Amino acid sequence: MNPDDTKFSQVLRAARPSPSLPPRFQENVWRRIEDAEAPAKSGSWLDALTALVLRPRFAYATVAMLVLAGAFLGTYQGAQTARHNEQARYLAAVAPDSLR
Amino acid sequence: MNRSLVILLGVLALGAVIFAGSYFVSQRASAVTHSADDLNWLRDEFHLSDADMARVRQLHEGYMPQCAKMCALIAAKQAEVQAALGTGTNVTAEAQQKLTELGELRAQCQAQMIQHFIAVSQAMPPGQGQRYLAEMKKLTLGSHEEIEQSMSDHAGHEHGTN
Repeated sequence: MNPDDTKFSQVLRAARPSPSLPPRFQENVWRRIEDAEAPAKSGSWLDALTALVLRPRFAYATVAMLVLAGAFLGTYQGAQTARHNEQARYLAAVAPDSLR
Repeated sequence: MNRSLVILLGVLALGAVIFAGSYFVSQRASAVTHSADDLNWLRDEFHLSDADMARVRQLHEGYMPQCAKMCALIAAKQAEVQAALGTGTNVTAEAQQKLTELGELRAQCQAQMIQHFIAVSQAMPPGQGQRYLAEMKKLTLGSHEEIEQSMSDHAGHEHGTN
């Protein structure tokens, strides 16, 4: 390297002084890096609940549970209705309304 | 509106639709699978065997023509009562006579009906027969007893206040 170049570089560096870093600069940089890498946090309990509900495993389980509950209650209620209708049909056959 | 709230409301509505669909399909299917036999209720409710059902069916088929005959007599007597009452404002001797005859016919029909219930109960296993007889008395005579009970309660209350 030319000694003149070295001297020239020193002059240039002296002409552009680098500003001093703000306090806790390094710590703040690391915190921002960690925040960027962490999974996004939900804003409220509603967001958290929505995230839970939209998870496929939860959604499939809920649909299955609703179908089973509806089928069970519907079958039970249908059987009760059918039983009531059959009883009414028998009563209508053996005991006319005018006697009841 | 908040996006999460909209999604949750949509999920709730979808869940309600899924539940309701499942409920109504099952209810309809369950109601349709039952037969149209008049005696099916007896078989299911009183757990009757085929032999029990054969005896009960024979009694039922023997009773039905008698019941139909009594019903026809009662309907004819009701028409006579209506004619005797006419559009008048007082009960004539003829109308009173027709009402008495109608009451007698109803009493005969009820006695015949109770006799049929007793015969059917005896064609069933003893425990089920007693339950059947009690149930049929409650279903056919129970409404009269309730009315009479409410009338006597009402009369007693009035006497108590006078």
